[in-house]
Amino acid sequence: MKIFLNLVVATLKDMVRDKMTIFWFILFPVLFMFLFGMIFSGGSGNVNFDLGVVVEQPDFFSQAFLANLGQVEMLTVHHGTLEGELEALGQQKRNAVLVLPQVQFGSDEEIAVPVYYDASNQANKVLIFMLSEIFNHVERGMQNRARIFTVDAKPVQAESLRDVDYLLPGILSMALMQLGLFGSVRLVYLRQKRILKSLGATPLPRTHIVFSEIVIRLLMAAVQTTLIILIGHFVFDVKIVGSWWQVLGAVFFGAAVFVSIGYMLVTFAKTEESGHGIIQVVQFPMMFLSGIFFPLEFLPAFLKPVVRAIPLTYLGDILRSVLIGTPYAFGLTTDLLILGGWLTVSLILAIRFWRWE
Amino acid sequence: MASIVVRELTKRYGKLTAVNQISLEVEDGEIFGMLGPNGAGKTTTVEVLVGLRDADAGEVRVLGFDPTTESVQLKRSIGVQLQMPTLFPRLTVEESLRLNANFFPDPFPAEQVLEWVGLKEQRKVYTYKLSGGQLQRLVVGMAIISNGRILFLDEPTTGLDPQARRNLWDVFHMLQKMGKTIFLTTHYMEEAQYLCDRVAIIDHGSIIALGTPNQLICDHFEEKAVELSAMDGCDEAILEKLPGVTKVQAAHNQITLYSTNVEATIRELMQLEAENRLAVNDLAIRKASLEDVFLKLTGRSIRQ
Ligand SMILES: Nc1ncnc2c1ncn2[C@@H]1O[C@H](COP(=O)(O)OP(=O)(O)OP(=O)(O)O)[C@@H](O)[C@H]1O
Ligand SMILES: [Mg+2]
Repeated sequence: MKIFLNLVVATLKDMVRDKMTIFWFILFPVLFMFLFGMIFSGGSGNVNFDLGVVVEQPDFFSQAFLANLGQVEMLTVHHGTLEGELEALGQQKRNAVLVLPQVQFGSDEEIAVPVYYDASNQANKVLIFMLSEIFNHVERGMQNRARIFTVDAKPVQAESLRDVDYLLPGILSMALMQLGLFGSVRLVYLRQKRILKSLGATPLPRTHIVFSEIVIRLLMAAVQTTLIILIGHFVFDVKIVGSWWQVLGAVFFGAAVFVSIGYMLVTFAKTEESGHGIIQVVQFPMMFLSGIFFPLEFLPAFLKPVVRAIPLTYLGDILRSVLIGTPYAFGLTTDLLILGGWLTVSLILAIRFWRWE
Repeated sequence: MASIVVRELTKRYGKLTAVNQISLEVEDGEIFGMLGPNGAGKTTTVEVLVGLRDADAGEVRVLGFDPTTESVQLKRSIGVQLQMPTLFPRLTVEESLRLNANFFPDPFPAEQVLEWVGLKEQRKVYTYKLSGGQLQRLVVGMAIISNGRILFLDEPTTGLDPQARRNLWDVFHMLQKMGKTIFLTTHYMEEAQYLCDRVAIIDHGSIIALGTPNQLICDHFEEKAVELSAMDGCDEAILEKLPGVTKVQAAHNQITLYSTNVEATIRELMQLEAENRLAVNDLAIRKASLEDVFLKLTGRSIRQ
């Protein structure tokens, strides 16, 4: 065990001192997260809110209020019935829907103004705040009473998630796949550079070498996951619904699957370069056909069988569900079975065809 | 007792027979050298002995272990330096030594080995930044640190400067005094002559001579060597007819005559010069060396 740990530490040192390793396996997914997060979290710069307004009883007050709303540049006001506007909210055509109640003046009671808004978009909270301010303004103009209205915010979870939510599990899936697949090329490199042979002349069992490589992959997977989730959570406000052990379980399982597939693929490679080539050919289409970056419905029907065969599809499904709580597209059992199948088969093939020299 | 016993060992790569029925025994505490031209089968032999390759035929025992079936036990008690240095590129010298030490039950302290191979100043340098000779010293050190009972060293001093080479010879002698057995290959005849208790000369996979360096010289040369350079070239046929001369080797203007009667040979040479049939330069007489034996047995020019 001590021998093994020392080997892990030595291998880790050798790897992390190579700046390329750090770039590809740590920095690259992080950059990806930032870049796409920025693109898809949407709307920085020219902010515009679509506000649905439902007027129960047109009167002096509602006119004054609407006139005030009209002066706010960032707002596009839509009028309609409650049902119509709420439906538009569900389709993400509105950021919020405000219901102006009939106002009975003279009563001391505060008047609740229901505002329905899409809670999955953090920017809408700004809108709620803005609306409260507008009410305050209107009130002050009308009478000297401090409080008439309270904005009664009613969060409504929109049906489809924001792109950035969808993106986070996608990036994590991609990172795990690349870690597993490209990481396996290192064994070819070690063989090509005869480092495996040199180690083979010592009492160190060969399996130790492979296991230390795998342990390091899992460590790196944990680091990647942590970074991506932290960035997603703190920078882009993605809500993680799963517990830590669920997330780590899914991540380790996914990493293990792709490490095995990687080892299976590189059994056919004689050199480091050809290893990279093979992996590249496999990972690139997989990334786009697995639906990790956009919902599967967007893919043409004739590609569906391919999609259903790709392991990344199922890892994406698990991670989406565990991380952001989308319902399983295929069911957890199916996901686990298919990934487990890939794991087993590729492990058997890798062990069968791998040549130590 | 014999540390290494090899009987009729044969190793083939496809059709090529790299090692052909060689037999040898290496005694406990002996420094044994294997000499041979490029491609002779030295590395192949070493790799079979340390359990990296399986023999096709024959019997091998190293410290009583069969390298094929008992390689794990065997590897725990030997140190191995392979011909081409290969290390984790981004570990330092010291880390590499310690990593290797960690694989063995009773290694030498890294500090000690750094001193022996003269890499104390480079201890913090990544291995990929080492010079060729420093790298070579490091891999020899990594074999030594095992504190194994036998050291297998495949061309341990190739690429070293003369000081570093002599320095390693001292280390090997010291290790021998500690009771280690050393099996090494080399292309340096003076190294074999100085360092090895016995040498085997191998060519085309077969052992063509085996014995102590002096024994080999005596067996193959009663003659002494007369070296000269002939300024305008010369006719080998004339030289061969000189009294006492048994063999002539000529490369460009450098000529070596092997003679059983040096005085007669030289007298006749002078005569030739007086008659202006030969312009002799740099005349020297010396005892035959291991190199002479090697060249006689394996042919004059180096094969690629
Ligand atoms: N892995 C291999 N596959 C096929 N042939 C090989 C292999 N390794 C060595 N050979 C061949 O076997 C023969 C013996 O090679 P070996 O490496 O044992 O020679 P050597 O005596 O160590 O030579 P050198 O002095 O150049 O190191 C050579 O003809 C070589 O081409
Ligand atoms: Mg060799």
